Amino acid sequence: MEIEIDSVSSPSKVKEIDGLLADVGYKVKSSELHQVAQNIERLENVIVNSSSSDISQFASDTIHYDPSDIGNWVDNLLSEFDHTNSLPYDFSQLSDLAQDQHQHHHHHHQNHQLKVVTTVEEDSAIKLIHMLMTCADSLQRGNIQLAGSLIEGMQGLLTNMNTNSGIGKVAGYFIDALNRRIFGQNNIIHIENDVLYHHYYEACPYLKFAHFTANQAILEAFNGHDCVHVIDFNLMHGLQWPALIQALALRPGGPPFLRLTGIGPPSHDDRDNLREIGLRLAELARSVNVRFAFRGVAAWRLEDVKPWMLQVSSKEAVAVNSIMQLHRLLGSEPDPNNPSAIETVLGWIRSLNPKIMTVVEQEANHNEDGFMDRFTEALHYYSTVFDSLEACPVEPDKAMAEIYLQREICNVVCCEGPARVERHEPLIKWRERLGKTGFRPLHLGSNAFKQASMLLTLFSAEGYCVEENQGSLTLGWHSRPLIAASAWQAVPETLRFDH
Amino acid sequence: MAGSNQPLNPNDSKMVVPLNMWVLISNFKLAYNLLRRPDGTFNRDLAEFLDRKVPANANPVDGVFSFDVIVDRETNLLTRIYRPVEGDENHVNIVDLEKPVTAEVLPVLVFFHGGSFAHSSANSAIYDTLCRRLVGICNAVVVSVNYRRAPENRYPCAYEDGWKALKWVSTRTWLQSKKDNKVHIYMVGDSSGGNIVHHVALKALDSEIQVLGNILLNPLFGGEERTESEKRLDGRYFVRVKDRDWYWRAFLPEGEDRDHHACNPFGPKGRSLEGVTFPKSLVVVAGLDLVQDWQLGYAKGLEKAGQNVKLLFLEQATIGFYLLPNNEHFSLVMDEIKQFVNFDCS
Repeated sequence: MEIEIDSVSSPSKVKEIDGLLADVGYKVKSSELHQVAQNIERLENVIVNSSSSDISQFASDTIHYDPSDIGNWVDNLLSEFDHTNSLPYDFSQLSDLAQDQHQHHHHHHQNHQLKVVTTVEEDSAIKLIHMLMTCADSLQRGNIQLAGSLIEGMQGLLTNMNTNSGIGKVAGYFIDALNRRIFGQNNIIHIENDVLYHHYYEACPYLKFAHFTANQAILEAFNGHDCVHVIDFNLMHGLQWPALIQALALRPGGPPFLRLTGIGPPSHDDRDNLREIGLRLAELARSVNVRFAFRGVAAWRLEDVKPWMLQVSSKEAVAVNSIMQLHRLLGSEPDPNNPSAIETVLGWIRSLNPKIMTVVEQEANHNEDGFMDRFTEALHYYSTVFDSLEACPVEPDKAMAEIYLQREICNVVCCEGPARVERHEPLIKWRERLGKTGFRPLHLGSNAFKQASMLLTLFSAEGYCVEENQGSLTLGWHSRPLIAASAWQAVPETLRFDH
Repeated sequence: MAGSNQPLNPNDSKMVVPLNMWVLISNFKLAYNLLRRPDGTFNRDLAEFLDRKVPANANPVDGVFSFDVIVDRETNLLTRIYRPVEGDENHVNIVDLEKPVTAEVLPVLVFFHGGSFAHSSANSAIYDTLCRRLVGICNAVVVSVNYRRAPENRYPCAYEDGWKALKWVSTRTWLQSKKDNKVHIYMVGDSSGGNIVHHVALKALDSEIQVLGNILLNPLFGGEERTESEKRLDGRYFVRVKDRDWYWRAFLPEGEDRDHHACNPFGPKGRSLEGVTFPKSLVVVAGLDLVQDWQLGYAKGLEKAGQNVKLLFLEQATIGFYLLPNNEHFSLVMDEIKQFVNFDCS
């Protein structure tokens, strides 16, 4: 689903069988040629990675459907092949704490990309987008009345559209967000953020990519060090760390002593979430003979954390790991007398002299001051993310992931000032910012690129792509990068803060 | 990943052919992969199931009608004959099938389909369509030979079948041109068919039968040596060297290597063509075909032997370019073929 919708050609053209292929005995719709070609490539890759005797055996044993319908024939072979072969990748280094192979469902589902959109639906979609833009514009101008009536109009339009996928679904969330901005919150879904985060982790590869890439970089930075300390700016359920612990356990020469400091919000009720996660990770570390120590640092905001809380020792190799946290610091009120939150935090990070700082951020520009700009950017970005989610068939992960994203959307659209924490900025801006505050980039290396791509093929549907961007990696959906992973080191300086 | 396999890079081939052609040829490549067994046997049943076949049609379609004829009952050798309708006929009776040609000069193209000696048949849709096109373009009768295939029938079966068909065609009085009461025969073949054309022409040398010209489209030749083009293009444009090797192993007599004269006619075990009246040849070579060095070597071999050869080198063409008409190579080659068979002055 694209924001720019081209006018669709007449229905009869969509059904057209390629005439030249028909002349030689094959039935393929012209509109499906690309998809069929893609599937042929996939099947070729599968065959290339199998032994010839396996292929011959498989060819004899499997049921072949009508060979003149190339698309169908290839599809069936692909799904047959998937059932009879396990993927020949060694992922002993990637095994996760709790998750098992139910992720295989992602690999070869019935993925007929052809969405037949009727003309009526297309017209509604175009109208809807137009109204969304106009609504955002009127909000920016302060014309609340117009905005309100537009919202009503859009909600009306939605009743005649498919809101389970595509533009209908995403538009729904944005209309909702606009509504909240004007009229305030109504129904709040009471699900803990860390739970939603976990489902988001399961539903699509963005977080897995982030963890995987960061871990690779951290692992390399820790080479040759016997005492290492990872500082995680947002522990959540600690999903990133089992893989690192396992990788360290398998390190030639033996594992180092690993300390993990997890930062997270204070828990409600009597629980201590941070400690619970720490205990689980300690269990895992013990089971693979890695000496491990955990410390939880509870803080509502990252700028409330003081470096002394982290208890970094000078003998340790330190890795600072920030998964989608730095942008939250950009909303502090500018004060000419005091350094901003981001400057403060980056400052004390530097003072820790970390071997590496891994930074993962949404690859989007949602920090523009102008509401209209922000709104448009967000609409494009989240449309793409939701598009990619379509490829996830697993519930409740998908539904929960959508709620997770909805919260982000709401924050971007509804909030202003310090309340707006989802202030995503693209890699190019982070490079500038980090460069100015005394960090220099570390190249993630072609190995990381290859491994990330491989991970993708394992866990995700067609459409995701890893790209290299001046030593950093991005993961995107089709040609749109959505998340960027980079690594940094502090430039040595003569002044150091005491901590 | 499986060690010795070439990494696939579909992007190369996708950039040089139209998408529907890419799908067509890749589909063949895929299917063929399923049919070749590592022990040298061939899954013939599955091959026949997957092959898109069309029946002959004595009702003219676009001015061409076809019918099948058994040429040799012992080996069940079939040919499919394609004829242009004459005048305004839109209905052909059984008596009309072998009605004598009325033209002063009518070229008869004896056609050998490709398939690396193992795949396809005279009634394969791709070849039925190609033969029909040739009828229109050349104003000719096309006789497509359903020769026996490897690995069930190795060398020299295909050549023998070709020779039988050639003899048969030369003795059909209804195919004789009015001008000289002779059948004006040209031989055309693609891939393994091109190879067959050469060897059948050799057989005809020691006979009364006159072949006016050979047309070889991406003919299949090879040898023990690994040529530069084979190394450079291995796996890049639909074909891998190891696939080629498999087909030679399936066709050549057991124990023979690729320097056998069937595979390498101008190689160490080849036959010299000096001083011999060999038909003039049109050799079409695709620049992205990995066996082009062998094909170019063939053309050179003819040239060195003092034979009349025209080489058409299509830099950006891949194998199978002539199967669909939506590329410039197709029109170019068809024009050349038309000129080649209409140049007939004898």
